[in-house]
Amino acid sequence: MKNLLQVALGILAAIGGFVDIGDLVFNVQAGAAFGYRLLWVVVIGVVGIIVYSEMCGRVAAVAGRPVFDAVRERLGFSVGLSALIASEIVNFMTLAAEVGGLAIGLQLLSGLPFHLLALVAALALGLVIWVLPFEWIERLFGYMGLCLLVFAVAAIKLHPDWSAVADGFVPSSPPGDRLVYAYFVIGLLGAAMTPYEVYFYSSGAVEEGWTPKDLGLNRANALIGYGLGGFLSLSLMIMAGALFLPNGIEPELLGTVALGAQVPLGTIGLLLALLGICFAVGGAAIDTCFSGAYNLAQFFGWEWGKNRTHAEAPRFTLAWLVLIVLALGVTMTGIDPVMLTEYAVIFSVVALPLTYLPILLVANDRAYMGRYVNGRVANAFGVVYLLVILVVAVTAIPLMLLTNQGQG
Amino acid sequence: MSKEIDLGLGVLDHQLVDSEGRRCGKVDDLELEGVADGRPAVAAILVGASAWRGRGVLGRLAARLARGRMTRVPWQEVADVEATLKLRRKASELRLGRGDDRARRIVEWIPGAR
Repeated sequence: MKNLLQVALGILAAIGGFVDIGDLVFNVQAGAAFGYRLLWVVVIGVVGIIVYSEMCGRVAAVAGRPVFDAVRERLGFSVGLSALIASEIVNFMTLAAEVGGLAIGLQLLSGLPFHLLALVAALALGLVIWVLPFEWIERLFGYMGLCLLVFAVAAIKLHPDWSAVADGFVPSSPPGDRLVYAYFVIGLLGAAMTPYEVYFYSSGAVEEGWTPKDLGLNRANALIGYGLGGFLSLSLMIMAGALFLPNGIEPELLGTVALGAQVPLGTIGLLLALLGICFAVGGAAIDTCFSGAYNLAQFFGWEWGKNRTHAEAPRFTLAWLVLIVLALGVTMTGIDPVMLTEYAVIFSVVALPLTYLPILLVANDRAYMGRYVNGRVANAFGVVYLLVILVVAVTAIPLMLLTNQGQG
Repeated sequence: MSKEIDLGLGVLDHQLVDSEGRRCGKVDDLELEGVADGRPAVAAILVGASAWRGRGVLGRLAARLARGRMTRVPWQEVADVEATLKLRRKASELRLGRGDDRARRIVEWIPGAR
């Protein structure tokens, strides 16, 4: 019973932790531009992250390896180093975007100047990581992130045309500009399958000392946690399709997203939305910050881990401290966090194959996995998604340039 | 150790863990002996930035940029080859994990680091 409760608590934290600034930006913008027509992409993206998270969790539980151990063992030093550099760049851009997003969220709540709040945001994140035990961090941000469920209520209150919503789960020929439509398809996939999620997930599984006994927990976490996280993404898009599209609102500011809860639900809706955004984005900032440090430590063989004291894993500690300071520096230049998010998501798509290929290879290796190697279903999904990721990775940057970041 | 080990996939680039469970570097390269007389064997594990020189173009570049030292760990010090390579002694006795030791002096300045 206690176990079941723990699973449930872990899953709740995962839902809150799934949505980050990339999901907020791309789902809402896609809804505002194309209504419900891109809902199917969210489903594809969420299934993808479930497939690969499950695989990563299984590799961690059975072979005891987090992602970047596998990357280096399988791709060797040189190719592995390229994967590391690519993922560190993308991870850092994401972190900077999340810190900026948190500052905007705090600004909308308090009305204080942006630069002051960026400083407050970075200090608060650093302090939280330094002082709180990891489990508390995960729960605090995960549970408070659940305030985002207000967008599901908002979506229902806005009385969307449910038959049009249902049609959105089936791909249809795009209205208007095909290139912009394709750009959003790629952005939505990238936002759902952000690589830091698997780095973080697999490193956490190794730290918690998962064994093959935990494979049920792994499956439940991946399936339900990310599945319900996907539900939040769908809610955001439906809300935007019901409110922003008919009113011709282009949500280029994070504050506009919160408007989506305020219009149908009033001040309480606005407050919950802002709180949810702050905690979801803040939680993602912590995840990306750790991911950056995990990857470095795992590639170079340093001691790492959030469950060790800071002095026991010193280079790991310095790595995340430096990442936060650098992210603050980027935020202080006044760069628009929403624009930075779009770049981060699109570039992350390019780094995806280098992350997911080694995982697929290791998950298929009997020497590592014994009888827990990928079954046919996991492989079918794994290979199909790898192909999808490859196509998406090749087309991402050309599409971003051709469409002027989706603005046509 | 009598089990069959694939050096390329099972040893190279794997994590080193010392006798106290501390992570202390990767198998950056391997030193072989007896290749000329037809009885090749692994003499030592090479750990550290200089060992990256033998690891492709990017490895050479990284080795030059990092300018780190290299530690040679005789193969006799390896206790077991599993997901990680378990060593028989403490990292400090094998001159491993020195980067972490140096960084620790900085991190310990911050209150609450222990």
